[in-house]
Amino acid sequence: MLLIVDALNKHRFGALLDQMYQLRARVFQDRMGWDVNVRHGREIDLFDGLDPAYVLTLNNSYEVTGCARLLQTTGPHMLSDVFHDILDGEPPLRSANLWESTRFCVDRKLLSGGQGTNTVSYTTSELMVGILEYAKSSGITDIITVIDPLMDRILHRSDNAPYDYVGKTADMGKVKALAALIDCSEERIQKVRNFAGITGNIFLPEEEVASALAITNDAVLDPTVAAYCRDQIDAATNERERAAAIALQNALAGVQTGRTRAFDA
Amino acid sequence: MTPYTSLVDLANSPGSQTDFVGHLDAICSSLGLDYASYASTNPITGHVHAFTTYPDEWKNHYMSERFHLLDPTLRAASRSIAPVDWQRLNQDRDFQSVFNRAHDFGLPQSGVTIPVRGPFGDTGLLSVTSDLTASDWHSHKSKVIQELQTVAVNLHDSVMNSERLTHLLRRAELSSREREVLQWTAAGKSQQDIGDILAISSRTVEVHLRSSREKLGTLTTAQAVGRAISLGLIMPG
Repeated sequence: MLLIVDALNKHRFGALLDQMYQLRARVFQDRMGWDVNVRHGREIDLFDGLDPAYVLTLNNSYEVTGCARLLQTTGPHMLSDVFHDILDGEPPLRSANLWESTRFCVDRKLLSGGQGTNTVSYTTSELMVGILEYAKSSGITDIITVIDPLMDRILHRSDNAPYDYVGKTADMGKVKALAALIDCSEERIQKVRNFAGITGNIFLPEEEVASALAITNDAVLDPTVAAYCRDQIDAATNERERAAAIALQNALAGVQTGRTRAFDA
Repeated sequence: MTPYTSLVDLANSPGSQTDFVGHLDAICSSLGLDYASYASTNPITGHVHAFTTYPDEWKNHYMSERFHLLDPTLRAASRSIAPVDWQRLNQDRDFQSVFNRAHDFGLPQSGVTIPVRGPFGDTGLLSVTSDLTASDWHSHKSKVIQELQTVAVNLHDSVMNSERLTHLLRRAELSSREREVLQWTAAGKSQQDIGDILAISSRTVEVHLRSSREKLGTLTTAQAVGRAISLGLIMPG
Protein backbone atom coordinates (compact mmCIF):
# COMPACT_ATOMS: atom_id res chain seq x y z
CA MET A 1 0.00 0.00 0.00
CA LEU A 2 1.04 3.58 -0.61
CA LEU A 3 1.24 6.91 1.14
CA ILE A 4 1.89 10.35 -0.37
CA VAL A 5 4.06 12.52 1.87
CA ASP A 6 4.53 16.18 0.96
CA ALA A 7 5.12 19.53 2.67
CA LEU A 8 1.55 19.58 3.99
CA ASN A 9 1.75 16.34 5.98
CA LYS A 10 5.45 15.57 6.45
CA HIS A 11 5.39 16.75 10.09
CA ARG A 12 3.36 13.59 10.77
CA PHE A 13 5.63 11.19 8.87
CA GLY A 14 9.18 12.24 9.72
CA ALA A 15 10.02 8.68 10.74
CA LEU A 16 9.01 7.37 7.30
CA LEU A 17 11.05 10.01 5.48
CA ASP A 18 14.04 9.08 7.62
CA GLN A 19 13.65 5.42 6.55
CA MET A 20 13.37 6.60 2.96
CA TYR A 21 16.61 8.60 3.10
CA GLN A 22 18.38 5.52 4.49
CA LEU A 23 16.92 3.31 1.77
CA ARG A 24 18.10 5.78 -0.87
CA ALA A 25 21.63 5.72 0.61
CA ARG A 26 21.71 1.90 0.42
CA VAL A 27 20.35 1.79 -3.12
CA PHE A 28 21.96 4.73 -4.88
CA GLN A 29 25.35 4.79 -3.17
CA ASP A 30 25.97 1.26 -1.92
CA ARG A 31 24.29 -0.79 -4.62
CA MET A 32 24.31 1.37 -7.72
CA GLY A 33 27.42 3.41 -7.04
CA TRP A 34 25.86 6.73 -8.04
CA ASP A 35 27.81 9.82 -7.15
CA VAL A 36 25.36 10.97 -4.43
CA ASN A 37 25.87 12.75 -1.14
CA VAL A 38 25.39 10.46 1.87
CA ARG A 39 25.71 11.76 5.43
CA HIS A 40 24.97 9.77 8.57
CA GLY A 41 23.67 6.95 6.38
CA ARG A 42 21.07 9.15 4.67
CA GLU A 43 21.04 10.27 1.06
CA ILE A 44 19.59 13.79 0.97
CA ASP A 45 20.14 16.39 -1.75
CA LEU A 46 19.04 19.97 -2.30
CA PHE A 47 15.89 18.91 -4.16
CA ASP A 48 14.60 17.36 -0.94
CA GLY A 49 14.60 20.91 0.40
CA LEU A 50 12.24 22.10 -2.34
CA ASP A 51 9.09 20.52 -0.89
CA PRO A 52 8.76 17.63 -3.36
CA ALA A 53 6.04 15.00 -3.06
CA TYR A 54 7.19 11.51 -2.09
CA VAL A 55 5.33 8.37 -3.07
CA LEU A 56 6.12 5.66 -0.48
CA THR A 57 5.23 1.98 -0.53
CA LEU A 58 4.71 0.54 2.94
CA ASN A 59 4.55 -3.09 4.09
CA ASN A 60 2.04 -4.40 6.63
CA SER A 61 4.22 -3.12 9.48
CA TYR A 62 4.18 0.37 7.95
CA GLU A 63 7.87 0.17 7.02
CA VAL A 64 9.05 1.92 3.85
CA THR A 65 9.70 -0.67 1.11
CA GLY A 66 10.02 1.71 -1.85
CA CYS A 67 9.97 5.37 -2.76
CA ALA A 68 10.01 7.95 -5.54
CA ARG A 69 10.27 11.74 -5.53
CA LEU A 70 8.11 14.03 -7.67
CA LEU A 71 8.71 17.64 -8.71
CA GLN A 72 7.03 20.04 -11.13
CA THR A 73 8.97 20.73 -14.34
CA THR A 74 7.88 24.40 -14.39
CA GLY A 75 10.28 25.19 -11.54
CA PRO A 76 13.67 23.87 -10.38
CA HIS A 77 14.05 20.10 -10.79
CA MET A 78 16.88 17.64 -11.44
CA LEU A 79 16.80 17.67 -15.24
CA SER A 80 16.88 21.46 -15.27
CA ASP A 81 19.60 21.85 -12.66
CA VAL A 82 21.73 18.72 -12.26
CA PHE A 83 21.38 16.17 -15.03
CA HIS A 84 22.90 18.36 -17.75
CA ASP A 85 24.80 15.44 -19.20
CA ILE A 86 21.62 13.57 -20.05
CA LEU A 87 20.24 16.54 -21.97
CA ASP A 88 23.56 17.17 -23.69
CA GLY A 89 23.43 20.87 -22.84
CA GLU A 90 19.89 21.33 -24.16
CA PRO A 91 17.26 23.16 -22.08
CA PRO A 92 14.82 20.72 -20.42
CA LEU A 93 11.14 20.22 -21.17
CA ARG A 94 8.87 22.53 -19.18
CA SER A 95 5.19 21.80 -18.88
CA ALA A 96 2.27 22.25 -16.47
CA ASN A 97 1.22 18.70 -17.30
CA LEU A 98 4.64 17.06 -16.91
CA TRP A 99 6.16 15.99 -13.59
CA GLU A 100 9.66 14.70 -13.00
CA SER A 101 10.14 11.48 -11.03
CA THR A 102 13.56 10.79 -9.49
CA ARG A 103 15.13 8.50 -6.86
CA PHE A 104 12.79 5.63 -7.76
CA CYS A 105 13.83 2.54 -5.78
CA VAL A 106 12.61 -0.44 -3.78
CA ASP A 107 14.18 -2.22 -0.81
CA ARG A 108 15.51 -5.55 -2.13
CA LYS A 109 16.69 -6.64 1.30
CA LEU A 110 13.41 -6.02 3.09
CA LEU A 111 11.49 -7.64 0.25
CA SER A 112 13.78 -10.61 -0.45
CA GLY A 113 12.02 -13.92 0.08
CA GLY A 114 8.74 -12.09 0.52
CA GLN A 115 5.41 -13.50 -0.64
CA GLY A 116 2.41 -12.08 -2.50
CA THR A 117 2.40 -8.30 -2.27
CA ASN A 118 5.70 -8.35 -0.38
CA THR A 119 8.00 -8.86 -3.37
CA VAL A 120 10.35 -6.66 -5.37
CA SER A 121 8.32 -7.15 -8.53
CA TYR A 122 4.91 -6.36 -6.97
CA THR A 123 6.25 -3.36 -5.03
CA THR A 124 7.93 -1.92 -8.13
CA SER A 125 4.67 -2.09 -10.08
CA GLU A 126 2.66 -0.77 -7.15
CA LEU A 127 5.00 2.21 -6.78
CA MET A 128 4.69 2.89 -10.49
CA VAL A 129 0.87 2.70 -10.40
CA GLY A 130 0.89 5.00 -7.34
CA ILE A 131 2.94 7.63 -9.19
CA LEU A 132 0.73 7.41 -12.28
CA GLU A 133 -2.57 7.58 -10.37
CA TYR A 134 -1.46 10.43 -8.12
CA ALA A 135 -0.14 12.37 -11.13
CA LYS A 136 -3.23 11.71 -13.25
CA SER A 137 -5.57 12.92 -10.50
CA SER A 138 -3.45 16.10 -10.34
CA GLY A 139 -3.99 16.87 -14.04
CA ILE A 140 -0.60 15.50 -15.13
CA THR A 141 -0.47 13.71 -18.49
CA ASP A 142 3.16 12.54 -18.61
CA ILE A 143 6.08 11.73 -16.30
CA ILE A 144 9.71 12.22 -17.19
CA THR A 145 11.85 9.94 -15.08
CA VAL A 146 15.59 9.61 -14.61
CA ILE A 147 16.42 5.93 -14.42
CA ASP A 148 19.34 3.56 -14.95
CA PRO A 149 19.43 0.87 -17.65
CA LEU A 150 18.51 -1.81 -15.09
CA MET A 151 15.31 0.02 -14.10
CA ASP A 152 14.62 0.52 -17.80
CA ARG A 153 14.76 -3.28 -18.28
CA ILE A 154 12.49 -3.79 -15.25
CA LEU A 155 9.95 -1.38 -16.76
CA HIS A 156 10.04 -3.25 -20.07
CA ARG A 157 9.56 -6.56 -18.27
CA SER A 158 6.57 -5.27 -16.25
CA ASP A 159 4.50 -4.25 -19.27
CA ASN A 160 5.38 -0.64 -18.49
CA ALA A 161 7.97 0.28 -21.15
CA PRO A 162 8.61 4.04 -21.56
CA TYR A 163 7.07 5.33 -24.79
CA ASP A 164 10.19 7.36 -25.54
CA TYR A 165 13.48 8.75 -24.22
CA VAL A 166 14.79 12.31 -24.09
CA GLY A 167 18.43 13.28 -24.52
CA LYS A 168 21.09 10.58 -24.24
CA THR A 169 22.36 7.97 -21.80
CA ALA A 170 24.88 9.64 -19.50
CA ASP A 171 27.52 8.39 -17.04
CA MET A 172 26.54 8.64 -13.37
CA GLY A 173 29.54 7.24 -11.55
CA LYS A 174 29.63 3.46 -11.88
CA VAL A 175 26.46 3.27 -13.96
CA LYS A 176 24.54 5.14 -16.61
CA ALA A 177 21.33 7.17 -16.37
CA LEU A 178 18.71 8.13 -18.93
CA ALA A 179 15.50 10.18 -19.04
CA ALA A 180 12.39 8.22 -20.03
CA LEU A 181 8.86 9.40 -20.84
CA ILE A 182 5.86 7.58 -19.36
CA ASP A 183 2.24 8.53 -20.00
CA CYS A 184 -0.22 8.73 -17.08
CA SER A 185 -2.99 7.12 -19.10
CA GLU A 186 -5.72 4.81 -17.88
CA GLU A 187 -4.48 2.19 -20.41
CA ARG A 188 -1.00 2.12 -18.90
CA ILE A 189 -2.31 2.08 -15.33
CA GLN A 190 -4.54 -0.91 -16.19
CA LYS A 191 -1.69 -2.72 -17.95
CA VAL A 192 0.65 -2.42 -14.97
CA ARG A 193 -2.14 -3.30 -12.53
CA ASN A 194 -2.95 -6.42 -14.58
CA PHE A 195 0.70 -7.40 -14.84
CA ALA A 196 1.20 -7.33 -11.06
CA GLY A 197 -2.33 -8.33 -10.04
CA ILE A 198 -3.03 -5.02 -8.28
CA THR A 199 -6.72 -4.42 -7.59
CA GLY A 200 -8.76 -1.73 -5.85
CA ASN A 201 -7.56 1.37 -4.02
CA ILE A 202 -3.85 1.25 -3.19
CA PHE A 203 -3.61 4.47 -1.14
CA LEU A 204 -3.61 4.20 2.65
CA PRO A 205 -5.63 6.75 4.63
CA GLU A 206 -3.23 9.25 6.22
CA GLU A 207 -4.95 8.80 9.60
CA GLU A 208 -4.39 5.05 9.59
CA VAL A 209 -0.64 5.40 9.02
CA ALA A 210 -0.29 8.23 11.55
CA SER A 211 -2.02 6.29 14.33
CA ALA A 212 -0.09 3.10 13.50
CA LEU A 213 3.18 5.03 13.80
CA ALA A 214 2.04 6.55 17.11
CA ILE A 215 1.41 3.05 18.51
CA THR A 216 4.89 1.95 17.40
CA ASN A 217 6.29 4.97 19.21
CA ASP A 218 4.27 4.13 22.30
CA ALA A 219 5.72 0.61 22.37
CA VAL A 220 9.32 1.83 22.44
CA LEU A 221 8.85 4.82 24.72
CA ASP A 222 9.34 4.69 28.46
CA PRO A 223 5.76 4.64 29.94
CA THR A 224 6.23 7.98 31.77
CA VAL A 225 7.56 9.63 28.60
CA ALA A 226 4.77 8.06 26.51
CA ALA A 227 2.13 9.39 28.92
CA TYR A 228 3.72 12.86 28.85
CA CYS A 229 3.71 12.85 25.04
CA ARG A 230 0.06 11.78 24.92
CA ASP A 231 -0.88 14.57 27.35
CA GLN A 232 0.99 17.11 25.26
CA ILE A 233 -0.74 15.96 22.06
CA ASP A 234 -4.17 16.00 23.72
CA ALA A 235 -3.57 19.43 25.26
CA ALA A 236 -2.65 21.03 21.93
CA THR A 237 -5.06 23.84 21.07
CA ASN A 238 -4.16 24.18 17.41
CA GLU A 239 -2.66 22.25 14.51
CA ARG A 240 0.77 23.78 14.99
CA GLU A 241 1.01 22.81 18.67
CA ARG A 242 -0.28 19.34 17.87
CA ALA A 243 2.34 18.91 15.14
CA ALA A 244 5.09 20.04 17.51
CA ALA A 245 3.94 17.61 20.20
CA ILE A 246 3.87 14.73 17.71
CA ALA A 247 7.30 15.71 16.37
CA LEU A 248 8.66 15.66 19.93
CA GLN A 249 7.16 12.20 20.50
CA ASN A 250 8.67 10.91 17.25
CA ALA A 251 12.05 12.39 18.10
CA LEU A 252 12.04 10.83 21.59
CA ALA A 253 11.01 7.46 20.15
CA GLY A 254 13.91 7.76 17.71
CA VAL A 255 16.37 8.41 20.54
CA GLN A 256 15.13 5.46 22.58
CA THR A 257 15.51 3.00 19.71
CA GLY A 258 18.93 4.33 18.84
CA ARG A 259 17.62 5.77 15.61
CA THR A 260 19.04 9.20 15.06
CA ARG A 261 17.26 11.65 12.89
CA ALA A 262 19.28 13.53 10.33
CA PHE A 263 16.23 15.31 9.10
CA ASP A 264 13.77 17.10 11.31
CA ALA A 265 10.36 17.27 9.69
CA MET B 1 -8.74 22.50 -29.78
CA THR B 2 -8.94 23.63 -26.18
CA PRO B 3 -11.75 25.93 -25.07
CA TYR B 4 -9.12 28.64 -24.60
CA THR B 5 -8.41 29.45 -28.19
CA SER B 6 -10.75 32.43 -27.86
CA LEU B 7 -9.06 33.75 -24.74
CA VAL B 8 -6.95 36.83 -24.83
CA ASP B 9 -3.33 35.82 -25.18
CA LEU B 10 -1.97 37.51 -22.09
CA ALA B 11 1.69 37.36 -22.92
CA ASN B 12 1.17 39.54 -26.00
CA SER B 13 1.48 42.63 -23.88
CA PRO B 14 4.33 42.38 -21.42
CA GLY B 15 4.64 45.47 -19.28
CA SER B 16 1.25 46.82 -20.23
CA GLN B 17 -1.91 46.77 -18.15
CA THR B 18 -3.52 43.44 -18.83
CA ASP B 19 -7.04 42.47 -17.88
CA PHE B 20 -6.14 39.64 -15.51
CA VAL B 21 -9.52 39.74 -13.75
CA GLY B 22 -11.25 39.39 -17.13
CA HIS B 23 -8.97 36.45 -17.80
CA LEU B 24 -10.05 34.81 -14.52
CA ASP B 25 -13.70 35.40 -15.47
CA ALA B 26 -13.09 33.68 -18.80
CA ILE B 27 -11.48 30.71 -17.02
CA CYS B 28 -14.52 30.43 -14.73
CA SER B 29 -17.08 30.53 -17.49
CA SER B 30 -15.33 28.07 -19.79
CA LEU B 31 -14.63 25.58 -17.00
CA GLY B 32 -17.93 25.87 -15.12
CA LEU B 33 -16.53 27.43 -11.96
CA ASP B 34 -17.93 30.15 -9.70
CA TYR B 35 -14.98 32.28 -8.61
CA ALA B 36 -11.26 32.40 -9.27
CA SER B 37 -8.34 34.14 -7.57
CA TYR B 38 -4.67 34.43 -8.32
CA ALA B 39 -1.85 35.42 -5.98
CA SER B 40 1.92 35.47 -6.20
CA THR B 41 5.01 37.24 -5.00
CA ASN B 42 7.90 37.93 -7.31
CA PRO B 43 10.99 37.17 -5.18
CA ILE B 44 13.20 39.21 -7.51
CA THR B 45 11.26 42.46 -7.55
CA GLY B 46 9.31 41.87 -4.32
CA HIS B 47 6.05 42.77 -6.07
CA VAL B 48 2.89 41.12 -4.82
CA HIS B 49 0.25 40.26 -7.41
CA ALA B 50 -3.30 39.44 -6.41
CA PHE B 51 -6.59 39.60 -8.23
CA THR B 52 -9.90 37.88 -7.90
CA THR B 53 -13.42 37.66 -9.26
CA TYR B 54 -14.87 37.52 -5.72
CA PRO B 55 -17.52 40.15 -4.90
CA ASP B 56 -16.23 43.43 -3.46
CA GLU B 57 -17.84 42.91 -0.02
CA TRP B 58 -15.84 39.73 0.49
CA LYS B 59 -12.65 41.27 -0.89
CA ASN B 60 -12.95 44.20 1.52
CA HIS B 61 -13.77 41.99 4.48
CA TYR B 62 -10.90 39.63 3.63
CA MET B 63 -8.40 42.50 3.47
CA SER B 64 -9.67 44.28 6.58
CA GLU B 65 -9.46 41.05 8.59
CA ARG B 66 -5.99 40.45 7.15
CA PHE B 67 -7.08 36.92 6.23
CA HIS B 68 -4.25 36.63 3.72
CA LEU B 69 -1.89 36.15 6.66
CA LEU B 70 -3.59 32.93 7.77
CA ASP B 71 -5.47 31.74 4.69
CA PRO B 72 -4.21 28.14 4.28
CA THR B 73 -5.14 28.13 0.59
CA LEU B 74 -2.21 30.53 0.26
CA ARG B 75 0.10 29.46 3.09
CA ALA B 76 -0.11 25.67 2.86
CA ALA B 77 -0.94 25.20 -0.80
CA SER B 78 2.14 27.08 -2.00
CA ARG B 79 4.31 24.24 -0.66
CA SER B 80 2.51 21.46 -2.50
CA ILE B 81 3.47 20.27 -5.98
CA ALA B 82 -0.05 18.92 -6.64
CA PRO B 83 -3.33 20.85 -6.71
CA VAL B 84 -4.64 21.08 -3.14
CA ASP B 85 -8.34 20.39 -2.75
CA TRP B 86 -9.70 22.54 0.06
CA GLN B 87 -11.05 19.38 1.66
CA ARG B 88 -7.49 18.62 2.59
CA LEU B 89 -7.23 21.91 4.49
CA ASN B 90 -10.57 22.04 6.24
CA GLN B 91 -9.37 20.47 9.50
CA ASP B 92 -7.05 23.43 9.89
CA ARG B 93 -8.41 25.96 12.41
CA ASP B 94 -7.19 28.84 10.26
CA PHE B 95 -9.16 27.42 7.35
CA GLN B 96 -12.29 27.44 9.45
CA SER B 97 -11.82 31.01 10.64
CA VAL B 98 -11.49 32.22 7.04
CA PHE B 99 -14.04 29.97 5.39
CA ASN B 100 -16.80 30.08 7.99
CA ARG B 101 -16.88 33.80 7.24
CA ALA B 102 -16.81 33.11 3.50
CA HIS B 103 -19.89 30.96 4.00
CA ASP B 104 -21.63 33.88 5.76
CA PHE B 105 -20.99 35.89 2.61
CA GLY B 106 -22.75 33.21 0.57
CA LEU B 107 -19.54 32.02 -1.08
CA PRO B 108 -18.98 28.40 -2.16
CA GLN B 109 -17.07 26.02 0.11
CA SER B 110 -15.63 23.61 -2.47
CA GLY B 111 -12.44 24.60 -4.19
CA VAL B 112 -8.97 23.71 -5.30
CA THR B 113 -5.73 25.68 -5.34
CA ILE B 114 -3.23 25.04 -8.14
CA PRO B 115 0.32 25.92 -7.10
CA VAL B 116 2.71 26.89 -9.89
CA ARG B 117 6.45 26.89 -9.36
CA GLY B 118 8.46 29.16 -11.60
CA PRO B 119 12.16 29.02 -12.45
CA PHE B 120 13.30 31.77 -10.05
CA GLY B 121 11.73 30.60 -6.78
CA ASP B 122 8.48 32.33 -7.69
CA THR B 123 5.24 30.58 -6.80
CA GLY B 124 1.83 31.45 -8.19
CA LEU B 125 -1.47 30.23 -6.80
CA LEU B 126 -4.64 29.89 -8.84
CA SER B 127 -7.66 29.12 -6.66
CA VAL B 128 -11.06 28.25 -8.06
CA THR B 129 -14.31 27.57 -6.24
CA SER B 130 -17.57 25.86 -6.99
CA ASP B 131 -20.94 25.61 -5.25
CA LEU B 132 -21.41 22.01 -6.43
CA THR B 133 -22.05 19.34 -3.79
CA ALA B 134 -18.96 17.48 -2.61
CA SER B 135 -19.48 14.47 -4.90
CA ASP B 136 -20.41 16.53 -7.97
CA TRP B 137 -17.41 18.75 -7.30
CA HIS B 138 -15.13 15.72 -7.15
CA SER B 139 -16.21 14.49 -10.58
CA HIS B 140 -16.26 17.98 -12.12
CA LYS B 141 -12.78 18.68 -10.81
CA SER B 142 -11.37 15.51 -12.35
CA LYS B 143 -12.69 16.67 -15.74
CA VAL B 144 -11.15 20.16 -15.62
CA ILE B 145 -7.98 19.62 -13.57
CA GLN B 146 -5.72 19.10 -16.59
CA GLU B 147 -6.91 22.36 -18.22
CA LEU B 148 -6.62 24.14 -14.88
CA GLN B 149 -2.95 23.17 -14.63
CA THR B 150 -2.30 24.55 -18.11
CA VAL B 151 -4.12 27.86 -17.56
CA ALA B 152 -2.55 28.28 -14.10
CA VAL B 153 0.98 28.09 -15.51
CA ASN B 154 0.08 30.34 -18.45
CA LEU B 155 -1.45 32.91 -16.10
CA HIS B 156 1.47 32.81 -13.69
CA ASP B 157 4.02 33.18 -16.51
CA SER B 158 2.03 36.09 -17.94
CA VAL B 159 1.92 37.86 -14.59
CA MET B 160 5.64 37.36 -14.02
CA ASN B 161 6.36 38.53 -17.59
CA SER B 162 4.29 41.67 -17.00
CA GLU B 163 7.22 42.89 -14.91
CA ARG B 164 10.00 44.26 -17.05
CA LEU B 165 12.91 42.74 -15.11
CA THR B 166 11.42 39.27 -14.92
CA HIS B 167 10.46 39.47 -18.57
CA LEU B 168 14.10 40.02 -19.47
CA LEU B 169 15.26 37.11 -17.29
CA ARG B 170 12.65 34.70 -18.57
CA ARG B 171 13.83 34.23 -22.13
CA ALA B 172 12.20 31.33 -23.92
CA GLU B 173 14.87 28.65 -24.18
CA LEU B 174 13.77 26.03 -26.67
CA SER B 175 15.74 22.82 -27.14
CA SER B 176 16.81 21.90 -30.67
CA ARG B 177 14.16 19.14 -30.63
CA GLU B 178 11.45 21.66 -29.69
CA ARG B 179 12.57 24.00 -32.49
CA GLU B 180 12.56 21.08 -34.94
CA VAL B 181 9.02 20.11 -33.97
CA LEU B 182 7.81 23.72 -34.27
CA GLN B 183 9.60 24.09 -37.62
CA TRP B 184 7.79 21.07 -39.06
CA THR B 185 4.51 22.36 -37.58
CA ALA B 186 5.10 25.68 -39.35
CA ALA B 187 5.57 23.67 -42.55
CA GLY B 188 2.08 22.25 -42.05
CA LYS B 189 2.99 18.75 -40.90
CA SER B 190 0.69 16.87 -38.51
CA GLN B 191 1.84 15.50 -35.17
CA GLN B 192 1.86 11.98 -36.63
CA ASP B 193 3.91 13.09 -39.67
CA ILE B 194 6.42 14.86 -37.45
CA GLY B 195 6.77 11.75 -35.31
CA ASP B 196 7.50 9.70 -38.45
CA ILE B 197 9.97 12.26 -39.81
CA LEU B 198 11.91 12.55 -36.56
CA ALA B 199 11.51 8.86 -35.63
CA ILE B 200 9.90 9.66 -32.29
CA SER B 201 6.42 8.76 -31.03
CA SER B 202 3.59 11.17 -31.75
CA ARG B 203 3.06 11.50 -27.99
CA THR B 204 6.66 12.74 -27.69
CA VAL B 205 5.86 15.32 -30.38
CA GLU B 206 2.88 16.39 -28.24
CA VAL B 207 5.06 16.70 -25.12
CA HIS B 208 7.54 18.89 -27.01
CA LEU B 209 4.71 21.05 -28.40
CA ARG B 210 3.20 21.41 -24.92
CA SER B 211 6.56 22.45 -23.53
CA SER B 212 7.18 24.90 -26.42
CA ARG B 213 3.77 26.51 -25.95
CA GLU B 214 4.50 27.09 -22.29
CA LYS B 215 8.00 28.40 -22.81
CA LEU B 216 6.64 30.84 -25.39
CA GLY B 217 3.77 31.83 -23.08
CA THR B 218 1.01 30.75 -25.44
CA LEU B 219 -2.00 28.48 -25.12
CA THR B 220 -2.22 27.29 -28.74
CA THR B 221 0.32 25.76 -31.11
CA ALA B 222 -0.53 28.33 -33.80
CA GLN B 223 0.36 31.17 -31.43
CA ALA B 224 3.55 29.35 -30.42
CA VAL B 225 4.65 29.03 -34.06
CA GLY B 226 3.97 32.74 -34.61
CA ARG B 227 5.88 33.72 -31.50
CA ALA B 228 8.81 31.43 -32.36
CA ILE B 229 9.06 32.98 -35.84
CA SER B 230 8.93 36.51 -34.44
CA LEU B 231 11.70 35.65 -31.95
CA GLY B 232 13.80 34.21 -34.77
CA LEU B 233 13.81 30.72 -33.19
CA ILE B 234 12.46 29.08 -36.34
CA MET B 235 12.15 30.06 -39.99
CA PRO B 236 8.77 31.14 -41.41
CA GLY B 237 7.06 28.00 -42.85
